[in-house]
Amino acid sequence: MRLAARGGARYAANAPRLFAAAGEQRQQLRDDLALRTAQDVADTLGTMKGVLMKIGQLASYIDDGIAPPARRILGRLQDSVPPMSAELAASVVVAELGATPERVFREWDPLPIAAASIGQVHRAITADGRAVAVKVQYPGIAEAISADLGNVALIRSLLKMAAPSQDVTSLIEELRERIGEELDYVREAENQRLFAAFFDGHPSVSVPKIVDELSTARVITSELAAGARFAEMLTWPQEERDLAAETIYRFTFRSLYELCAFNGDPHPGNYLFEPGGRVTFLDFGLVKHFTLDELEPLIQMVETLCLRDDPEGFRRAMEGAGFLQAGAPIGTPEVISHMSLFYETVRERGPRTMTSEYSSTVARRYVDFKSPLAAYASIPRSYVILQRINLGLFSVLGAMNATADWRRISEEIWPFVSAPPSTPLGEAEAPWLATRSDPRPRSAGPVVG
Amino acid sequence: MTAEVYPGTPLFQRAAAAFAACVPVNPADDGFFGPASVTWRLQADLSAPVSGLRSLLLQALHPLAMAGVDQHSQWRDDPGDRFATTSAYVLTVTYGDRAAARAAAARVRRLHEHVKGVDPVTGRPYAAGDPALLIWVHAALVESGLAAAALYGAPLTPAEQDQYVAEMTAAAELIGIPAAPFAAGGAPASVAELDAYFEAVRPDLATSTSTADTAAYLLGMPDVEPELAEAWEVLAAAAVTSLPGWARDMYGFGDARAANTGPVPGSEPPSRTEVRQVLGVLDAVYLGEPGVLEARQRITVRMRQAGQ
Repeated sequence: MRLAARGGARYAANAPRLFAAAGEQRQQLRDDLALRTAQDVADTLGTMKGVLMKIGQLASYIDDGIAPPARRILGRLQDSVPPMSAELAASVVVAELGATPERVFREWDPLPIAAASIGQVHRAITADGRAVAVKVQYPGIAEAISADLGNVALIRSLLKMAAPSQDVTSLIEELRERIGEELDYVREAENQRLFAAFFDGHPSVSVPKIVDELSTARVITSELAAGARFAEMLTWPQEERDLAAETIYRFTFRSLYELCAFNGDPHPGNYLFEPGGRVTFLDFGLVKHFTLDELEPLIQMVETLCLRDDPEGFRRAMEGAGFLQAGAPIGTPEVISHMSLFYETVRERGPRTMTSEYSSTVARRYVDFKSPLAAYASIPRSYVILQRINLGLFSVLGAMNATADWRRISEEIWPFVSAPPSTPLGEAEAPWLATRSDPRPRSAGPVVG
Repeated sequence: MTAEVYPGTPLFQRAAAAFAACVPVNPADDGFFGPASVTWRLQADLSAPVSGLRSLLLQALHPLAMAGVDQHSQWRDDPGDRFATTSAYVLTVTYGDRAAARAAAARVRRLHEHVKGVDPVTGRPYAAGDPALLIWVHAALVESGLAAAALYGAPLTPAEQDQYVAEMTAAAELIGIPAAPFAAGGAPASVAELDAYFEAVRPDLATSTSTADTAAYLLGMPDVEPELAEAWEVLAAAAVTSLPGWARDMYGFGDARAANTGPVPGSEPPSRTEVRQVLGVLDAVYLGEPGVLEARQRITVRMRQAGQ
């Protein structure tokens, strides 16, 4: 098996900008700049910089809500983090897996292939011959970032600067939660296992399996996946892009409605594409789990607006979820006209094209604090991340310029419809759907009446 | 919020542009310090902004230095420009090759020729090129680097501190301080000589309305955007906390002899962690300016190749 399966493209894209240099000299420079000690890690990602980078990531989901200079600064900060030296990465493997990478693995590539936000990914081959991707966390990063998260006052002013139109309090909570999750690779591995098991046997969705015995709180080993990066996929014919987009859409809403979980990071860097609509989903560092009670109002909103054409029911569902104050002095038609943009792609049947323009419009509407609804609207804590990621999903699909009958695909997935397959990918999904057991947490009764 | 009120501020932009320009891409030589020096390390330390602010506060305590600045510089009209010019000078002397450092020093010496007059407070005449005044400014800068690093940066060992003071005599000579032992009128070349210098110079120091105005201006920093004002307060408190007790006494910044006293009497000094967090944020803003990351990488690569 060729270790180069995933290529170095992603790393290069995220690598620190190295001044005028090419080839071997560039590699030399990368080695020269590498993080060599835990102190280097603390200097580079401590003193608030790791926290700022996370703010940058969150901000990438609220496109229009962030001040442009802040966007530039946060983007630049991302560039400023060099990879770990081979020795430092190896030391983490020793600490976590008990021996040097060369002993733990049959083959180990000391050059990272990808930069993860708080670690980096190495290729390796296990003792029993499996090609794997090993994500290694920067040593000391957890301590450095946790200390910085304690400075709420400073974070508050940073957020006010970066995203002046956002609700700072909920952003802080989100940030703390998000960082806590990302630092805990055990949780990430659990989430990846959950998704891998759920989509096991799926014809177009692929989730790399976790190698349990080589995964710890600071190291995650998973199957090495192959495929084209987002930028390369964008050069494919539109039919291929449409298929890939459909798979991303199916993945997102199958997991939301049936797994009651939403995988975060609908980020271009977290997919690998193969022709025919096959997509591998990487990085389960941010997964939001919902209870059925939390999911119920969302389902009711879709159902009342898109299926039953019941504006008052929609409004009641919004109020029930806490999106809209009960008794707000604002007409239901106005509520509908404001909110329907978010459902535009699924209100009616027929092919629709996702565009960047549409995703920006949605994002702008989302942060539009001047709308008549703004004074009475809010986003309850448990939905914050969902909303943001929703925007991320729209922006990914928009970048792909994807066309599909999203409504009919949704009808397959909506639990209150469960329509038969409407596309070839839907047909292909049927056997998987039939064999899959229902993994939904059973507690609060049926999802919909 | 618009771009105009964001910390794409003149202060940051100009300081950053100076930094990017003063760290050479193809230096002819390692300059007067070189990548293995303590000077390079300290100049790149996170604590450098505290050091800079502290040295300005300290330098203002010499009436003749204060008078020279007051009577010959419009720094208050355009503090961003003044900071950028000063930091460009320090950076060129530190990281530039010898020719660049000499040229920068020659420019400053030429400017100094015209800076002379009579201090209205003490009635004493002054000249910016006077070695005694140059030593004062130099010593305040050097001692501030050590003090800020000790409290908020990567602290130096006693041997490294001595080495830094000794290395910096090269900068002293460039600006016109005699290349002589400290005892013979040269710049202090060790921590002990630096301490002795401050003991000896203290009778010459004094405060005036001008000093108080300057300190109030620096610590209040009216040009800092409201969003950065809180961060600047922490920085200002750190600079004051790091001042020697006698200097704080002169300014009336809290009781220097009481343990754990902040700049305002009775206040808590900022913690090392808090100061470093603020410095990290400022550093991130700085890194966001064009050319800064590349310049920093140039420095890091050379330092690492030199074994640091």
